[in-house]
Amino acid sequence: MEKIYIEPTRYTPEIYLDPDKGIISLKGKSYPENTFEFYEPIMKWIKEYSKNPKDTTTVNMEIVYFNSSTSKLFFNLLDILDEMRDKSKVIVNWIYDKENENAKEAGEDFVEDFPEMDIRLVEKDSLND
Amino acid sequence: MIKTLLSDVFKNDEVIFLSYGGYFTQPLIVAMTETLEIESEKFFISTRLATNICIVFIELSQNLMNYSKKKNNELDPKGVIVVGKDEQNNYYIYTQNIITKKDKEKIEKTLSLIKKSSLDEIKKLYREIRRSGVNSHKKGGGIGFYEIAKRSKYIEYEFETIDAERCFFKFKAVIGRNETVK
Repeated sequence: MEKIYIEPTRYTPEIYLDPDKGIISLKGKSYPENTFEFYEPIMKWIKEYSKNPKDTTTVNMEIVYFNSSTSKLFFNLLDILDEMRDKSKVIVNWIYDKENENAKEAGEDFVEDFPEMDIRLVEKDSLND
Repeated sequence: MIKTLLSDVFKNDEVIFLSYGGYFTQPLIVAMTETLEIESEKFFISTRLATNICIVFIELSQNLMNYSKKKNNELDPKGVIVVGKDEQNNYYIYTQNIITKKDKEKIEKTLSLIKKSSLDEIKKLYREIRRSGVNSHKKGGGIGFYEIAKRSKYIEYEFETIDAERCFFKFKAVIGRNETVK
C-alpha cells in the first residue's frame, strides 16, 4: 500500500495516510461540493488498510468545522475502524481548539456512538498552535 | 416577486452582513464563508457563535447550490441568502428559493418534526439518522436541517405557492446573540 498525502484547500482538510506507521490524519475544514466523491480514494484506502492493519493504528482528526455530509462520512469512516479493532489497536485522537466547543461536542457524539472505541478528546490551546 | 420579498428582509433597523441572490457555486460559497469568518473576528463574535454561523451558512448555501445544479427548466435555479442581525441582536440566516411541490412535502415533514422537538430530541434524531444510513445517498446525507436546528435558537419556514408544481421556500435560522467572551 502506498502513502497518501493530500494538500489542504480552503474547504478540504490536509490528509495524510501512512500504512507503514499506521497513521490516518485529517486536519482542517471539510465542506466539499461532493463530499462522498472527494473522500472516495480515502475510504478506499482505509478499507484496504483495514484488511491487514498495523498492530496499532493512530487516527488524528482535527477538523475546525464540517458540513453534514462530511459528518455522515466521518461516521462511516469510524465504523470501518471500529470493525478493524480485532486486528489492530485503534486510537482516535479527536483534536479541537479550546475555544471551539462545537468541535468538542462533535467529538463527544462520536464517543457515544462508538462506545467500544478508544476515542480521545484532545483539547488544544490555541495560543500554542 | 423576489424583489418585494427582499425588501421585506432589508428592514432599516436590521444590520445586514452579507446578502447574495443568484446561482450558487462552490467557489462563491467558500468566498462568502471566509468573508463571514473575517466579519466575525472584526465584530468580536465568540468562536462558538462564529462557527455556528459558518456551519449554518454552509449547510443552507450548499442546499441552494444543489438546487442551482438541477437541470430542470421549470424551476428557477436561483436562490437568495441573507446573513443579518435583528432588533434583538440575534444573528440570523435567511434563504429563499423555488422548489417543487414534491420537495416541499419532504422538507415540510422534516421541518415540522424539528419544530415540535426539543434540542435534545433534535440531537438524538440527528445521530439516529446519521447512524441509520437512511438518505445517505443524498447529497446532504439527510441530516442537514437537523444540523442547522442544532446550531440555532429557533427556525422559521414558509411555503408560498406559485403554481401547481412549484412554490417558494423561505427559511430562517435564528442562531443567537453574541455572548460576552469569558
